[in-house]
Amino acid sequence: MYRTLKKFFDFCGEKERRQFYLSIFLGVFNALFIALRIPAVYVVIKAILEGGLSKKTAFAAAGIIAASIILQTVVSMKTTMLQTRGGYNTSSFKRLEIAEHLRYVPMGYFNSEGLGKVTSIATNTMENLSGIATRCVMVVTKGIITTLVIVAFMLFFNIWIGLVAIATMIIYLIGTELMIRAQSKDSDIAVKAQDKMVSRILEYVRGIAEIRNYDLFGKSITNVDEPIDEFTKYSTRMETVYEVAMFLLSILNKLSGVVMILMSISFYLNGSMSLVYAVMMIICSFMIFESLDQVGAFNGLTRTIENCVDKASEALSSPTMDIDGKELEPKDMSLSVRNVDFSYDKRKIIDNVSFEIPQRSTAAFVGPSGGGKTTITQLLARFWDVDSGQVLLGGTDVREYSYDSLIRNFAFVFQNVYLFSDTVENNIRFGKPDASREDVIEAAKAACCHDFIMALPDGYDTVIGEGGASLSGGERQRISIARAIMKDAPIIILDEATANVDPENENLLMKAVDRLTKEKTVIMIAHRLKTVENADQIFVIDHGKIVQQGSHSKLMNEEGIYRRFIGERKQASGWKISSHSV
Amino acid sequence: MEEKQKTENQAAAQPVLNKNTFSWLWEFTKGKRGTYLMSVILALLGVACMLLAYICLAALIRELVTGGRDHGFYITRGVQIGILWVFRYAFHGFSTYTSHGATFGLIGNARKQILKKLSTMPLGAVQTRSSGEYKNIICDRADQVEPTLAHVVPEFTANIIGAAAMFIYMMTIDWRVGLWQLICIPAGFVAFAVMMSSTPKYYPDTIKKTKALNAAAVEYIGGIEVIKAFGQSKTSYGKFEKAAREGADCFINWMRKENFWQNFGMACFPATMLGLLPSGVMYCLNGSLAAADLIVLIILSFGTVAPLVTVFGYMDDISKVGEIISDMADVMDEKDMVRPESSREVPKDHSISLKDVHFSYKDTEVLHGINMQIADGTVNALVGPSGSGKSTVARLIASLWDADSGEIRIGGVNIKDMPLAEYNKHIAYVSQENYLFDQTVMDNIRMGKDGATDEEVMEAARKCGCHDFIMSLENGYQTICGGSGGHLSGGERQRICIARAMLKDAPIVILDEATSYTDPESEAVIQSALSRLSAGKTLIVIAHRLSTIADADRIFLISGGTVEAAGTQEELLKSSPLYASMWENHIAARKEEA
Repeated sequence: MYRTLKKFFDFCGEKERRQFYLSIFLGVFNALFIALRIPAVYVVIKAILEGGLSKKTAFAAAGIIAASIILQTVVSMKTTMLQTRGGYNTSSFKRLEIAEHLRYVPMGYFNSEGLGKVTSIATNTMENLSGIATRCVMVVTKGIITTLVIVAFMLFFNIWIGLVAIATMIIYLIGTELMIRAQSKDSDIAVKAQDKMVSRILEYVRGIAEIRNYDLFGKSITNVDEPIDEFTKYSTRMETVYEVAMFLLSILNKLSGVVMILMSISFYLNGSMSLVYAVMMIICSFMIFESLDQVGAFNGLTRTIENCVDKASEALSSPTMDIDGKELEPKDMSLSVRNVDFSYDKRKIIDNVSFEIPQRSTAAFVGPSGGGKTTITQLLARFWDVDSGQVLLGGTDVREYSYDSLIRNFAFVFQNVYLFSDTVENNIRFGKPDASREDVIEAAKAACCHDFIMALPDGYDTVIGEGGASLSGGERQRISIARAIMKDAPIIILDEATANVDPENENLLMKAVDRLTKEKTVIMIAHRLKTVENADQIFVIDHGKIVQQGSHSKLMNEEGIYRRFIGERKQASGWKISSHSV
Repeated sequence: MEEKQKTENQAAAQPVLNKNTFSWLWEFTKGKRGTYLMSVILALLGVACMLLAYICLAALIRELVTGGRDHGFYITRGVQIGILWVFRYAFHGFSTYTSHGATFGLIGNARKQILKKLSTMPLGAVQTRSSGEYKNIICDRADQVEPTLAHVVPEFTANIIGAAAMFIYMMTIDWRVGLWQLICIPAGFVAFAVMMSSTPKYYPDTIKKTKALNAAAVEYIGGIEVIKAFGQSKTSYGKFEKAAREGADCFINWMRKENFWQNFGMACFPATMLGLLPSGVMYCLNGSLAAADLIVLIILSFGTVAPLVTVFGYMDDISKVGEIISDMADVMDEKDMVRPESSREVPKDHSISLKDVHFSYKDTEVLHGINMQIADGTVNALVGPSGSGKSTVARLIASLWDADSGEIRIGGVNIKDMPLAEYNKHIAYVSQENYLFDQTVMDNIRMGKDGATDEEVMEAARKCGCHDFIMSLENGYQTICGGSGGHLSGGERQRICIARAMLKDAPIVILDEATSYTDPESEAVIQSALSRLSAGKTLIVIAHRLSTIADADRIFLISGGTVEAAGTQEELLKSSPLYASMWENHIAARKEEA
């Protein structure tokens, strides 16, 4: 538990950590003020047992309790604020830190699964942490400190009984640690059962259309009940350890309380302790473990905190690239790739590739899917770092540029268009933040977006996405092209879209692409015959290598992938479906 | 994609609790109610032991204060107290354990029921939530319910009943002091009431800000590629930072506003001594209370109010549980497709007819009376501008949704008069989003036909042009298709799905944009697979290239949710200006391309 708290404090930022530490320090005073009950009771009991009970006793006792209430309120107001600030700021700003970290991670690193995981950490995990951490820190620190203060009182009254209290407390705290350890084995099994359950459920949910279409109910894939029951079983087993341990620990507290009572009585009977002290000890022995019990009850939650912190730390530990190069202006906009190797997940993706793309020429990459086309274009803009070899922009290694001064020269059109839930105008302006409205409209016109934008309910001020307008695939594509036109970078990297293009807009999309790529150095993953044919250079990529290279007419005269590819494309675009087709 | 965002939006607009939340929670406890009752009984036994322990303690104190010096008496009492404590915690532990078991069972029930629900509600409705949302509801958030629900029963019973029992016991010793000790309670209640009254003012704001913060995180991370590619990390980061600041500040501000009341309340509630000590002293002075009794009362009062404070700690969690269960209730409340157990009639052929079909999506009618006749064994195309409703028509025919009104018949039989599983046997619905299970290629294809032999599977694979690439995989047909294994490309996956549909050999084939995929390199192979799949079948095609369907027997032009025209390509070119202009556009694009 203390490990978890320590881990959590280490996880917090410098400022938040100081707030937590200060709150713990103030917690000592708070505990002292709570413990003022003891002197109040002492005043009364002393007066009862040793005579001198009067109205004054009543006032004194009431006064002490009233003071205790006021002082407690004042101090705990302060500690509550400190801990609330610490807890919520930590979880809020850790999200930023996680997002910030992504800037230094190779861009290609994130497949959709990885991004989904990070997103879930930056949202669910952190939200969960914010609620629990603050409360848990409050209760646990308060519990331990309060107990310590009462132990101090007891030591003051009688050293032996105080020692019993200390021993009990130590055994209790060790016990909770042991319990967590004993649980860890069962917890591992439960986590495995949970993973299995989650993956089965996901499989069921993702495949529900197929399950229903092919009536797969009763087959093994649809058997989600079994893993659910399994997980129930192991979670319950894990709980057993916890309950047994909590039982033993509570018993320890209470029996030690009984021992303290009997010790006090025995000291009183043999004359070494006054009756007043004996009664006070009995009262203390009841109060002492009250707050310790609460600490135990929060054990389950500390596990959650640990879990959250671990997940976030894992997200923050993904490998980063050094992106702090020099502010450089490239001499020209030519790109060259020299003997580049690149592997991912131990799989070689790019295998000793070299080529040159002169300034303002168009290079088209074609080849089977999974051959490495996308990775090559990503290496050009340093979405990844090469394993060996060099990528040069204007004769200078891309790693020598600072990331910003490198990326300035590129504009991208991705296949999967990502638009922000912001206005259309701001989405386009994203390419150039200081652009005027006129500039935005001009870019939109060039990308054939202006007309459909004007038809939207709020024109350029229409918010896209959540709560806003829904755009067709082709419209989104064109907005992303307008965004790239807006940036007006000398090098364009274009993954030609084929999916989600509405047929009636195909023409407009092609026009937009033409305008974007005019007079630029263009690197494209090309699918359309026309764009391939018009390219200055064509690179055919297969299994991470350039297998053919040259102009369209040259490649058409060669036996190889290219000619076959073109043939297939022609056939595909002329495909007709009819009752006679087989 | 847009659809999904709309759904999320709607979910956000819904109230935190709907009236069905508790009835569903009650429903989920089915089979576990006895266990919960057991837990309550055990907790009560625990309370009884605790009370007895205090009674023994009181006897011990009285003896001590009145001068008893018999060691034996004290030891006996001490042992009694010890034994009672052991029983008290044993009962309490069992109670908590039982309640945990019941709660894990309850969550299991909820999971099973939601998953079962997914098999009876319209598939289209299932798909309005992403698999991530389902995972969130069924797996992640469901687990968060456990600690609260499991503790509520034993803790509430023990603490509330326990406190009440102690209070009554104190009242029997001296009712006046028993009441005096509660003097702080009104102040505590006032404090908590003031605190609670701020909840409606601040709580919605924290929900809103947290959602905004999460949305900012989702957007930043989701768009990280674009943000970095456009070198705009600073601008977007600023937005995110603002959201983070506000996300923390809303809680901090709320806490600041209720800080005094919360802490004052927390200090007041357990302060039984404030009333007890002075009143006890006064009654002692006037002789109406024995000194020994006062001391006993002092000790007992530690056990009366403090437990109640523990209960307050659960209030927040309970509202959170309500929220989570209400998300589940939203799924459970979706309308089911109503289908008979067995078919009343058998379709006489595989013709399809739609008669005055209306359909609304989220309260907006998108189809306004569709009428269509599709003859057995013909090729039919649905065309129209994007958003015209052509995909919706295909999905209604595939029974992914139920029409609001009107009839869809195959071979003369209303599809609502057939069990879903029966109807599905007639239909092969192929879209871009067919799913491969985390099983072998062989088993994935075999799903098309129960009990198909390996030979049949391979035959289907050959027809779809997948056999060769499957054999070239490291483990051939035994390759696992899931995310981790196989490294299958999009086109390869799609072909395996077509092979599966081929094996099913359904007489009606619906191709919903099945030819517009993210893997254009394998387009030609996929097309030939689709041609084989649909040969000789009643075919309904939505294609992204008009030329693809130019030879169809019948083309239905759908626009604005109605059938604007129908006929062959030639007929439509003459009769429909809209079709003619779509065709011109397409030809222009193709000229550019070819």
